[in-house]
Amino acid sequence: MSRERVFTSLQQAAYILNLAAVCLVAGSMAYSIQAVVDAMEAEAFLELVRVRPWKPQTMLATALICYLCLVFLSCLGQLWEHKRRALRNTVMVLEMLFCIGATVAMNMDYNGLVLLVVADMVRGQKGSKQKVVLGVAIVGLYTIVNHNLTGAYFNMIPWEQFLTAYGASTQAFLRGTLSVFSSMNLVLFILYMTMLIQGEYRERERIQNLNDQLEEANQKLKEYAAEAEKNAEMRERNRLAREIHDTLGHALTGIVAGIDASLTMLDIAPEAAKQQLMKIGEVARQGITDVRRSVSKLRPDALEKFDLERAVTKLLEDTSAASGAEITFDHQVTPLKFHEDEEEAIYRVVQEATTNAIRHGHATKIHIAISKVGQWLTITVKDNGTGCGAVEEGFGLKHMQERLELLNGSLSYDGRDGFWIEARIPIRWGEEYG
Amino acid sequence: MRYVGKKAVVFSMAITAALLAVVGAVFAILSREQDKEKILRFGMIAGSYWDVPTGSCYEVVDGAIRRFEEAHPGVRVEYDSGILKEDYPEWLAEQILLGTEPDVFMIPEGELDILVSLGALKDLDPLIEKDGTFHSDTYYEGAYAYGNIRDAQYALPYESVPTLMFVNKTLLQKEKIPLPGADWTWDDLLSICRKVTKDTDGDGVIDQFGCFDYGWQEAVDSSGAFLFEKDGSAAYLTDPKVEAGVKFVRDLNSVNEGYVVTAREFDQGKVAFRPFAFSEYRTYKPYPWRIKKYSDFEWDCVKLPSGPDGQGQVKLDTLLMGIGSRTRQEQLAWEFIKTLCYEEETQLHLLEASQGMPVQRSAVQSPLLRQVLGNDIPGNGDMDVEVIRQVMEEAVAAPNFRLYPSAMALADGEISRIISGEMSMDSGLLKLQREMNGLLRP
Repeated sequence: MSRERVFTSLQQAAYILNLAAVCLVAGSMAYSIQAVVDAMEAEAFLELVRVRPWKPQTMLATALICYLCLVFLSCLGQLWEHKRRALRNTVMVLEMLFCIGATVAMNMDYNGLVLLVVADMVRGQKGSKQKVVLGVAIVGLYTIVNHNLTGAYFNMIPWEQFLTAYGASTQAFLRGTLSVFSSMNLVLFILYMTMLIQGEYRERERIQNLNDQLEEANQKLKEYAAEAEKNAEMRERNRLAREIHDTLGHALTGIVAGIDASLTMLDIAPEAAKQQLMKIGEVARQGITDVRRSVSKLRPDALEKFDLERAVTKLLEDTSAASGAEITFDHQVTPLKFHEDEEEAIYRVVQEATTNAIRHGHATKIHIAISKVGQWLTITVKDNGTGCGAVEEGFGLKHMQERLELLNGSLSYDGRDGFWIEARIPIRWGEEYG
Repeated sequence: MRYVGKKAVVFSMAITAALLAVVGAVFAILSREQDKEKILRFGMIAGSYWDVPTGSCYEVVDGAIRRFEEAHPGVRVEYDSGILKEDYPEWLAEQILLGTEPDVFMIPEGELDILVSLGALKDLDPLIEKDGTFHSDTYYEGAYAYGNIRDAQYALPYESVPTLMFVNKTLLQKEKIPLPGADWTWDDLLSICRKVTKDTDGDGVIDQFGCFDYGWQEAVDSSGAFLFEKDGSAAYLTDPKVEAGVKFVRDLNSVNEGYVVTAREFDQGKVAFRPFAFSEYRTYKPYPWRIKKYSDFEWDCVKLPSGPDGQGQVKLDTLLMGIGSRTRQEQLAWEFIKTLCYEEETQLHLLEASQGMPVQRSAVQSPLLRQVLGNDIPGNGDMDVEVIRQVMEEAVAAPNFRLYPSAMALADGEISRIISGEMSMDSGLLKLQREMNGLLRP
């Protein structure tokens, strides 16, 4: 038998069993009133119970109607399992109210209906916060429908008192039947709960399995990425080698050959040697242009397209948009135009510092300032992130430092209050390549 | 994850909805109003509430119903006839259990507290407050207060019966003792009793007596003592007034030198005094019952003698009526109960056709009282109607808490032993007070 079939039969059995119990309890109460009247013991009965019971037909009808509404809502709750939470909660609360209504109509003498509601609540609950609510609701519900607690307080008549209207054998039969119903109801409830917990356990196992698979896939993906990076690096190295070979190698070969020729010709035909040297100069210049072109291929894409100011602004805008951090950029140097290597260094410093601030410092505010003091250009990046006590120099900082040292610049930083980094570059104002 | 298949759920829902429809329809049909005409149900006791012979127990009620139906066209008042006083409490309990109790009904004697605690009676205070034409001060205090319990008015008085003192006028005349006045006291009663108690035929046995049936309760009441807190939460049996009353009854009994006077001697005219319910007076005084009982001697009624600090107050026996708390026609029920218990016409009619006393002052003060008591007929006694009016005015309500009958039974038993000398006054009353505290403890 499939799990769904088992669930279905358990639930329907519980519905039918409780219907029988409600009929038995409410029916025996309603009928006992008639029996008391027929036996002309009404006065003694009222004197004994000291409470006026409901009208017999009201008692029976209220118990039945409330119970049937409870079952209807229980079904509805299952149909609406994937609807909005508010809707489901409303159904649940109504279910509880009908449970209380039916139990009150039965003078709190049968509280098996609570199990139906509890089963529905446990099935419907999701998340750990709801577990607390669920626990409180179950305890509350049980307290409300407990005859010994609330029944006595609200002057409910115990079923036993109603039973006194019947003969001893009928009393025993009714008591026995209700006891069987109650036990069976409990057994059904326990079975249902066991199935439910088992189901949840299986579900959890399945999720765990999926998680493992995902983890594996992730690992593979990382390996692929590392390999791809290695490949790219290799390709780049090859390209560089080719480039050097093609440009510098070609030019230098030409220059060496030309100089050798010039040396030979210098004494014989100084004029021709001069011509040759001029040609060598041409080749050297062409070489420089080629090298430049090669180097420019390594430049950041943005710098290739825009000037430094716009490139940096765009970089910061993109970073801000991607990370949600608030980035302010303050520069008092206009125009922001330097040599390519300097521009690249500035760009990389800004890029590396903001990336670090967001990645390691989790900063939400980053301030970047570029200012000029004499020949020195200073780039300051300050963030409000977590910073760090002792700065561990990683690849990023090292790389930055190397880049700046190439330009005779320097780097200083401090991680005690957020992270502060300052790069100083001596600018070759007005100097030009040959 | 779905546990139960959608099909199965829908199937259950369909079955449930069908069952709901069936149960709802059956219940709706069962509880449907049968008649288009508005019906007000009234629960009443047949025969006399006061245990005296009566001819037409329905006359007053029928008259009131007729007037009520005329004033409220389209409304019909129904009652089950023939329920005797002893069957009435059971009948009412059955109706309450079945949820078919009448809209307005008589409250069985001493059951007000139980009915209120069952929630069977409507609190009349909101209705009284809303009704500008209703004034509770037109009632005799002792009658009206009997319907008040747990600080709310749950019932209205219909008629009352006070206790009077029966006087054998022939006997007193023979002994040359004048008829006692309205301001006579215990001492007067005691001295008259001592005078009349004697052996008249010379056989050595006392055969003429002063007083019969005068109990400690009458004595305690007439000295203005209260035995219980109104709600039954405390008893005051060691009060000096109670002690004085018990002592007085003991003295009164000692006059008879141990002879126990019986009703037979009283009927034969050998006793001078006896506490007498007004209903009996009302029954046996006028024709035709006058010639059937107590016809060998002249008799009349006076007030009970006053105790040291009292005014001869008596407890009032009152028949109450209330409105069922589940009535669907609250306002009509209120109008009807007013017709019965408040309207002067009904109250005057009571004077004529019932053995009780109206509870409205205006009815008691009408000239009709003198007429119905037969005082207009020459030679037929001459009890001053003013005495009755005064007794009604001064009467107090009997306690109406649930345990009152058992408390009185307990007290009666113990005090009888004190009076008979089986137990000393002080220790007897103390013991009684202790037992009473145990009984009344909530």
